[in-house]
Amino acid sequence: MFMAILMVLICMPWQSAMAAMVGTEVVIDSARAEQARAVISKLLAREDIQRALIAQGIDPLEAQARVDSLSDREAIRFAEKVEQLPAAGSSVAWVLGLAVLVFLVLLITDILGYTDIFPFVKKKA
Amino acid sequence: MCSCAGNISRYRPEPLNGLPLRHTLDDVPFFPQADYQCGPAALAMTLAWSGLAVTPETLTASVYTPAIKGSIQPAMIGAARRFGRIAYIISAPEELIAEIAAGRPVIVLQNLGLSWYPVWHYAVAIGYDSKAGYMLLHSGKIPRKRMPLKLFNRTWARSDYWGMMTIPPNMIPATATEADFVESVFGLEQAGRRQAALEGYQTALTRWPANLAAGIGLANVYYAMGNLPAAEHALRETIRHIPESGAAYNNLAQVLWEQGRGPEALNAARTAVRLGGGRIDLYQETLTEIQKGLGLQPSEGNLPALDE
Repeated sequence: MFMAILMVLICMPWQSAMAAMVGTEVVIDSARAEQARAVISKLLAREDIQRALIAQGIDPLEAQARVDSLSDREAIRFAEKVEQLPAAGSSVAWVLGLAVLVFLVLLITDILGYTDIFPFVKKKA
Repeated sequence: MCSCAGNISRYRPEPLNGLPLRHTLDDVPFFPQADYQCGPAALAMTLAWSGLAVTPETLTASVYTPAIKGSIQPAMIGAARRFGRIAYIISAPEELIAEIAAGRPVIVLQNLGLSWYPVWHYAVAIGYDSKAGYMLLHSGKIPRKRMPLKLFNRTWARSDYWGMMTIPPNMIPATATEADFVESVFGLEQAGRRQAALEGYQTALTRWPANLAAGIGLANVYYAMGNLPAAEHALRETIRHIPESGAAYNNLAQVLWEQGRGPEALNAARTAVRLGGGRIDLYQETLTEIQKGLGLQPSEGNLPALDE
C-alpha cells in the first residue's frame, strides 16, 4: 500500500506551491526580542531591583510573568532604553547607582503596566 | 569623579585589552572636500581604503542632498551598501579606539558648532594618541589633522558618538557582537547586494556557526538568486547546528518543493509544524500548500512519516 502511494506521488505533475519562506528580518527581530527578554529577566533577578519592586507592592514573580507576555516590540524598546543608560550598558552585572536603579525600576513598572510615567513607554490599548 | 562630557579617559585603552596607547593608519587615502561635501569626501576615503576605486565626485549624487547642503546618515549607509560594503555603526569612544587599533578607519559625525547652531561635519578618524591626548583625522581640506581629545569628544558626543565603518563583507569589526554583525549583513541583503550578502553571511557563520539569522539569510539570498541546491545546503547546515528551528524546516520544505522533491518537502513541512513556535500559522500554510500539490487531504496523519 505504502509503495503504491509513493509511485502515485512520483508520477503526479508538481503544481507550484505558493508557500512562503520565512524572511531573514523576521528571524533577526525574533533573536533581538529574545535577547531583550533575557536582559529584562536578568534585571528582575537582581536583589536590589526585587527589593525596590517589593517596596512598591509588586510581586517579582508576577512581574516576571508579565515579562513573558511582552510583545517583541515592547521587549526590544525596553532593552534599548536599558542599553542607553550610562553605567549599565548591556552588562546587568554592574553595580547600579541610585538614580539608575530608580530609573530602571520605574521603567520596569511602566512597561509591565503597573505605572504610567514615561511617555515613551507605549501602552497596549 | 566627574563623569561629564569632558571625560576623555574612555579614549585610553584599558591596560588589559592589549591595545596600544597610540596608533595611526597610514593606508587611508585623503580626498579634500569641496564646499559642504564632507559626506562624499569621508565616504570616498573609507571606501577607497576598503579597495574600491572611488572619488568624492562618484559619490556626491548618492549621498549629498543639496536642499540641506549636507549628507544624512541613512544616505551614507545606503551608499556604502550600494558599493557592496558593510556599513557598521559604532557608538562609543572605546569602540572607536579598538577599531582604529585593529587597522580600520571610522567616519565620525561631529557637531563643530553649537547645540543651538549646529555645524555637522563628517571626518575620518585614522589615528589616536591617548598619552599625548589627540585624535588624528582626515578632515575637510586637512589630512592627518590633530584634534585634542577634549575637543574631539565634545564635538563627537553631540552626535551620540555616531561612527561608521565601511568594510568588505569578509571582515568582522573588532568590536562586533554577533547580533550587530549579522544585522549589518542583512542590510546588504535588503539593499539587493546579493554577492556581498552571501559573503557576509558566510563570514558570520565561520565565526558563529550556530547563528540562525545568518543561516536563514544565506539560504534566502541563494533562493533569491535561483540557486536552489545551494539554498538547500545552507538550510541543512543550519538544521545541523539548530535542530529545533521551525523556520529552517519551513524554508527547506519550500526549497525541496521547488526542486520537485515532494515527499521530502512534505516531511520538512510537517517537521516545521511539529516544532511550532510563533510562526506556526505560516508553517501550516506551507504544509497545506504542499499537501494540496501532492493531492493529499490537508489533515493530520494521511501518510505514515516518510523517511528522507
